Amino acid sequence: MNNRMKSLAIVTLAFLVVSASAIDVDEIVSNASKAAYYQGKDGKAKLSMTITDAQGRERQRELTILRRNNDDESGDQKFFVYFERPSDVKGTTFLVWKRADGDDERWLYLPALDLVKRIAASDERTSFVGAHYFYEDVSGRHESMDTHELVEETVDYYVLKSTPRDSKLAEFASYRSWIHKGTFLAVKIEYGDEQGEVYRTYEALDVQQIDGYYTVVKGRMTDNRIGGYTTVTNREIEYGIGLEDGLFDERSLRNPPRRQLK
Amino acid sequence: MKSLFLNLALERSKTVFTVSVLVAGLLLGLVIWPTVYPEKALGLHAAKVDTDPENMLPADEPARVTHNRLKLEFGLKDMLVVGVTADQEANGVFNPRTLHDVFDLVEAAEQMYWENGDGVSGVVRADIIAPSTVDAIEQAGLGVVSFRWMMPEPPETEEAALAIARTASNLPMFASSMVSDDEKALALYFPLTEKSASFKVANELRAVIAGFGGEDRYYIAGLPVAQDQFGKEMFVQMAISAPAAMALIFVLMWLFFGNLKLVVSPMIVAILAVVVAMGLLVVTGNTIHIMSSMIPIFIMPIAVLDAVHILSDFFDKYPITRDRKTAIRGVLSELWSPMLFTSITTSVGFASLALTPIPPVQVFGIFVAIGTLFAWLFTVLLIPAYIMLLPESSLDGFGSADAKSGQEKSWMAILLRVGGRFSFGRAKLVVLMAVGLLAFSIVGVTRIVINDNPVKWFEEDHEIRVADTEMNERLAGTYMAYLAFEAPGLERESFTLPVLDAAKDLPEPSRTALSQRLDEIDYGTFDENRFLTLQDWVLDAQEKVESDNEWDAWEKVNLALESHWAAGAFFKTPEALVEIEALEAFILQNEHVGKVLGLPEIVKTLHRELFEGDELRYRIPDSSNAVAQSLMTYESSHRPRDLWHFVTPDYRKTVLWIQLKSGDNVDMSNLLQNVNTYLADSELSASARAEWFGLTYINVIWQEQMVAGMMKAFLGSFVTVLVLMILLFRSFWWGLLSMIPLAVTITVIYGMLGWVGKAYDMPVAVLSSLSLGLAVDYAIHFIARSREAYAKAGNWKDAMDEAFAEPARAIARNIIVIGLGFSPLLLAPLVPYQTVGVLISSILVLAGLTTLLLLPALIRLIPALGKE
Repeated sequence: MNNRMKSLAIVTLAFLVVSASAIDVDEIVSNASKAAYYQGKDGKAKLSMTITDAQGRERQRELTILRRNNDDESGDQKFFVYFERPSDVKGTTFLVWKRADGDDERWLYLPALDLVKRIAASDERTSFVGAHYFYEDVSGRHESMDTHELVEETVDYYVLKSTPRDSKLAEFASYRSWIHKGTFLAVKIEYGDEQGEVYRTYEALDVQQIDGYYTVVKGRMTDNRIGGYTTVTNREIEYGIGLEDGLFDERSLRNPPRRQLK
Repeated sequence: MKSLFLNLALERSKTVFTVSVLVAGLLLGLVIWPTVYPEKALGLHAAKVDTDPENMLPADEPARVTHNRLKLEFGLKDMLVVGVTADQEANGVFNPRTLHDVFDLVEAAEQMYWENGDGVSGVVRADIIAPSTVDAIEQAGLGVVSFRWMMPEPPETEEAALAIARTASNLPMFASSMVSDDEKALALYFPLTEKSASFKVANELRAVIAGFGGEDRYYIAGLPVAQDQFGKEMFVQMAISAPAAMALIFVLMWLFFGNLKLVVSPMIVAILAVVVAMGLLVVTGNTIHIMSSMIPIFIMPIAVLDAVHILSDFFDKYPITRDRKTAIRGVLSELWSPMLFTSITTSVGFASLALTPIPPVQVFGIFVAIGTLFAWLFTVLLIPAYIMLLPESSLDGFGSADAKSGQEKSWMAILLRVGGRFSFGRAKLVVLMAVGLLAFSIVGVTRIVINDNPVKWFEEDHEIRVADTEMNERLAGTYMAYLAFEAPGLERESFTLPVLDAAKDLPEPSRTALSQRLDEIDYGTFDENRFLTLQDWVLDAQEKVESDNEWDAWEKVNLALESHWAAGAFFKTPEALVEIEALEAFILQNEHVGKVLGLPEIVKTLHRELFEGDELRYRIPDSSNAVAQSLMTYESSHRPRDLWHFVTPDYRKTVLWIQLKSGDNVDMSNLLQNVNTYLADSELSASARAEWFGLTYINVIWQEQMVAGMMKAFLGSFVTVLVLMILLFRSFWWGLLSMIPLAVTITVIYGMLGWVGKAYDMPVAVLSSLSLGLAVDYAIHFIARSREAYAKAGNWKDAMDEAFAEPARAIARNIIVIGLGFSPLLLAPLVPYQTVGVLISSILVLAGLTTLLLLPALIRLIPALGKE
């Protein structure tokens, strides 16, 4: 079968699958996004990141993330990140106002320079503080940036293929996600280049039910192009702890909410 | 032995011939089979080419081990550099059209990698340095810093194109290395998985570039390309220049001896000797290196030399009797011991190269020595055998017409007779002239500059040289050297004592437990995980306490832990960075240094951009934490990994990238010396260990070792040959005399190099051994024959007349045949071959002239010799 025939067959198959399944692609994508980034009204987690480079050298980062979904159901969110380790960056804080449609607003506070900075980025596929994860992997990629298709449905998973609407805004040509049918958590995401070669892989290594929500407590991002991987372990995860909107304010950068972070 | 060989050659000519050719054929087969059918190699070695100058050093040589270790540690790759200029445009390359091409070129290059058995070869995509692959850190309005791709897509307008130039120039990481100081030219850096990938990548890049219209110019440079190109041209060299030299030698011999069939024999000897030597080289698993590719060119004159002596003598003797066997027996009884000894001395000369610490030079020396011995064997066996196998008729008219009368009237014979009488008659004048020449040469020798540069192995108008020149004129330099620093690990006391001191307020059991835990840490490795485990233990203990006092006591411990551990991350401290910064400024003052880039530049740039791009903030921040936090911002870019090309993640090792506009070893040596002097008195070297690496540095190391090793090899073989000569002539004075043409030749050759300004480089270095081999040859032949003549004539005047007949003619024929025969090497596109060509000719002419002019004069003037 040549490539054209193949893709034709896949598209046809995809149509069949879509029509046969009770759920359509947009719903899967939307549910997956909710499962990964919107559980509960708000949440908190302590993240331990181990960045292992191509030579096997390790670095640790520890940080606490607070999250609150906006009240207006727009899909907008606010994040507050407090860096704990290494000790020389302790007290560094990071505030994000995530817009479901549009560019996020980001602020950074560097205590040693006593400096609050706004960060502008033309895209969100920059590294998250040196990890193999991108900023976007932490905050969530906007669903509308890609077109999604269901390419396969197994007993346990929906396999989606997502292609960026604007190829210039992403370094990948497409990515495939394995969405668990029961939890809608993506357990694997493979980013492929123009040749279809997978160069970057996300894997959920451990999923637990916390406060009634299925949550990835351990995940890993591997990048073949640069080599190495980053493993993230979430501890002390809590949902619905009553974080106030006022907390996610520029003033908190310099004066982080100690009680909520503890 | 002599009669055994002679009988074999004369009585079993056919067998001798067949066996020789079969042996060479077999060796050839053993090389060709595994090369053509590598899958059925049967354990045989295929011909392997190695053009890597790094291999000038043994794999376990400390400088090379360091080089490889640090390259790996900092993730540094050999790079292929593409320079782009568009001088017909007002803004150079910063116009939408050119940048579009550049964008396309880089996009194509990102795909230039391929599967290679156990991995991928080609361009390391993630590390390409080009406008479209790097980040611009810049201001994006008040209080806003932006990390964005410098050129996410080709610009549409002139202004947008110019903005890219300005952005790049504003970033020290890219200024003058990626974008030229005049903001008109660009350089793109393509790191390679390994050097051997460069040929394919360069070709693929050329193919893409060929598709661009316009007058823009693209230059492909970088040492890896030069090496690959050299490898390719080396073969052209072996396939064209060496045979051309052989053909010319053939024609010259034909002119002299006037018998086509007969002069084929030295060619056969030369070819067989070359085939056997090269065959053995490959079969024994050695690689064909820049040096060993020259083996055929060295063996050829050596092989032809003895053959010419035989033919020359035969040419003069044959007409007397017109009987081949008698003539050959006569020739060989005269020439046997000079030929044997010349071959042994030549072999010794080359074998002495095995004393140098440079593996390719060792291989070269050993196999030329082997080739020389085979050349001798083939000469004494095959030339007589060949002559016997020829039909008698083909020798009709062969030989010197005047041989019978002993009064040859050819121009050469007359010239030699006159020359001989002059040198013997005006002995004092000749010696005086020689002493003058020597004095002049010795002054020249003191002026010799030891220098080499693999890029300059190409001629000036070669594509590689043109690219090199152009790019070094406009950008920071294509030659990389690296200077790494390593801070010592943490010391147990300096960490545990202050921490225990801070733990004074803890209850005794906790203190003891802490002390035990502190002892478990391996401070030398500075392992962060062990530290974090310890800190976790402290934090857990802190959580569990009930009193505020105790909580505070633990907090003190925790803070002490953090601050003293942080001190181990030496290159995050402002003190260290300021020292490095000062060193960088010093390095930059040195001649030929185009740019120095290190961790300070990254830290300072971040600091500046975090503070609104204020130039006054282009400085090292005041605390380690400020450095760490600036760098974490950098790590939030598209390419955080670039940081690790300058510092290791534990901040205990850092490296400076030094770009030089000159790859001359002499320039790198000067830099080394200056910087090492600077470091000797600096704080930096007190607290951190400095190590150099990089190809430009490696080149200096092997050259230093080669010069020292060559000196040793030369002196060693000089003494050995001297002893051999004393044994051969059974006389100290005659032995010493025979070394004089050699000593004069080498002094004059190197003196001339000094006066002309030609650097002492790799080919020049090995040629001292060739002089040893060839110059002494003439002396042996001349002295041996002169003494025979003296024995017959009883006085030196008549003996000299005889020596200046046939023996001198053989020497003169040799000088002309081999001296001119190597002129095709001058047409070679590779400079080392040209050097070899010129020097072989000069050595032969000089050695011949000193033998013919100086020896008779000395024979007359030294009483110890005259008495015999």
